[in-house]
Amino acid sequence: MKKNSLPKFILLVIAIVVAVASQAQSLHADSINPYRVVVRSSQHGISLLNNLDTYLSGYNHTGTGYTFTHETLRKAHFGSYDFKYQTLLHATLGYTNLHDNNQYSLMAGRRWSGYHPFRVNDRLELLAGAQVLLSGGALYVPTNGNNLVSLKMHLAVAGTAMAIYHLPLARNHCTLRYQIDIPLAGLLFSPEFGQSYYEIFGLEDYGGTLCFSHPVNTPSWRHTLSADIPIGNSTIRVSYVADLYQTKVNNLRTHLYNHSFSVGFVRTIYKVKHNDPLNAYNPF
Amino acid sequence: MKKITAYITTIFLTFCFAACVEEDEFNNSPTGNFDALWSIIDQRYCFFEHGRQQFGLDWNEVYHKYRPMTEQEISERELFDLMGDMLRELRDGHVNLTSEYGTTFYWDWKLNYPINFSDSIQRNYLGHDFGMNSGIKYSTLMPDSIAYTYLGSFESGFSNGNLTALLMGLKHCKGLIIDIRNNGGGQLTAAEDLASHFTKEKIHCGYIQHKTGTGHNDFSSPEPLYLEPGQGAIWLRPIVVLTNRGVFSSANYFVMLMRELPHVTILGDKTGGGAGLPFNSTLPNGWGVRFSACPILDKNGVITEFGIEPDTLVHITSDDWNNGRDTMIESARGIIKSFYDKKSEEN
Repeated sequence: MKKNSLPKFILLVIAIVVAVASQAQSLHADSINPYRVVVRSSQHGISLLNNLDTYLSGYNHTGTGYTFTHETLRKAHFGSYDFKYQTLLHATLGYTNLHDNNQYSLMAGRRWSGYHPFRVNDRLELLAGAQVLLSGGALYVPTNGNNLVSLKMHLAVAGTAMAIYHLPLARNHCTLRYQIDIPLAGLLFSPEFGQSYYEIFGLEDYGGTLCFSHPVNTPSWRHTLSADIPIGNSTIRVSYVADLYQTKVNNLRTHLYNHSFSVGFVRTIYKVKHNDPLNAYNPF
Repeated sequence: MKKITAYITTIFLTFCFAACVEEDEFNNSPTGNFDALWSIIDQRYCFFEHGRQQFGLDWNEVYHKYRPMTEQEISERELFDLMGDMLRELRDGHVNLTSEYGTTFYWDWKLNYPINFSDSIQRNYLGHDFGMNSGIKYSTLMPDSIAYTYLGSFESGFSNGNLTALLMGLKHCKGLIIDIRNNGGGQLTAAEDLASHFTKEKIHCGYIQHKTGTGHNDFSSPEPLYLEPGQGAIWLRPIVVLTNRGVFSSANYFVMLMRELPHVTILGDKTGGGAGLPFNSTLPNGWGVRFSACPILDKNGVITEFGIEPDTLVHITSDDWNNGRDTMIESARGIIKSFYDKKSEEN
């Protein structure tokens, strides 16, 4: 494959995945299953951050941040094929420093995932699938001159897997979940080693700023451990996320390690089309 | 249960084999901080080859000259001064070390040369009722009806509206003197914005490069720099730009742009230079370092790091200095007057 045709190919793959996902949603609306159960959760949490971006500084900056996560998980259909569909929105506003050198960061991501379920037994279910992720943000160092900002943008196809375990708890059960997302191929924005944003955006010299990302130059992972604990009529989700984003492109090294601890409520929404609650389906 | 154990093991193995992206870090000791500073400059500074050609700069030799001094007992303050001395070997006004002890500078690009500017003498030309717009002081020199403007910094940007209002307010003048003496720079885009009001054509003025790797000669191909016409008023009457050795960085860039315009004369002393777009980085102890990272070249591919020669070399004479007369402003008036004299002769 020619080097310059690779980005087009990746964009095509991403477009197909997004098209299939949206098609799945529209097919679902017309499906014979009259119920759709959507599990939604919004969480707020604190993040422990460790940032390295050699475009800005050659040293790790550590600090804390605020994290917001919103997730939906539901069953979907594509023709007669049943799968689970997850959307995830996450954002972290962070403050890190090294001695008196402060860095501010805002990173956000949107993920669309489709999973094929494998039920191991009544309690354990494994899921594997594909994900399209779009993430971006910026690191800002107010004391720097022409390299005071490092912009991030990553569009990729990722592999994703999930394990769901229902732990009996009194008369109810606690749902434990582990999820891993690994970006496999995509497009990544990065300035060249000593390139200024004046040159990129002022002179529109985009040159080598759009890079093909793969697990060798973007060895990134996002691990999620969560527990949905029923308390009275509510369900509380407690989660730990290790979002380890790393890049090695254009002779620049970046790692953005975000260990976040979040808590929030889980809402199970029954979207009823007909009065047939027996067909209600819980994606868990 | 065995299956579950296998799944969990797989997950943990994924964690364990996770390759970390790290940078080689130096320890926070006198030698560690010294090595970190030397390495940052070694990998990211952009004028090694130019320095070697101009004054025989050898960065490895500099290392061996200063490094042994950090191996002895040395206080933080002494280390700061020592590292400042090392950076001065680059002879670059854009290279600084900043800490709680202050900021180190290299000033010889300016202080080794005649000052060629006096704000006391300037008062004789600006008068007491001068105007000010976007940081530009202006007045009209009579009886020639020549506009005199002074801009001491490019730190603040300009709007097209302000520049248009300024130039429209001076439209009764035959010519324009833009005095940027002692202008130490600021925003590159501010220099472009101002210069854009003096051309009605897109003009190729130079190139910019950036480093693509850690080697001393790892540079991108030169990206052309163009001066494009600004929106609003465009001044096409004669212009004289006054310069001295205090003209540095963005102001040096402004001269590089203006000298490509046919109705502009650069008059005064050679500029101070500073043709590298500076970047910043950090040492393990938190001290900040600034260095030239992206070289700017003129239209002929020549680096203007050590200044731009004027079209007309003029210094303020001792007699004029003592009499409160600015030789450069007077010469600029002469150039504009002679332009109109020639024009009237041709007609």
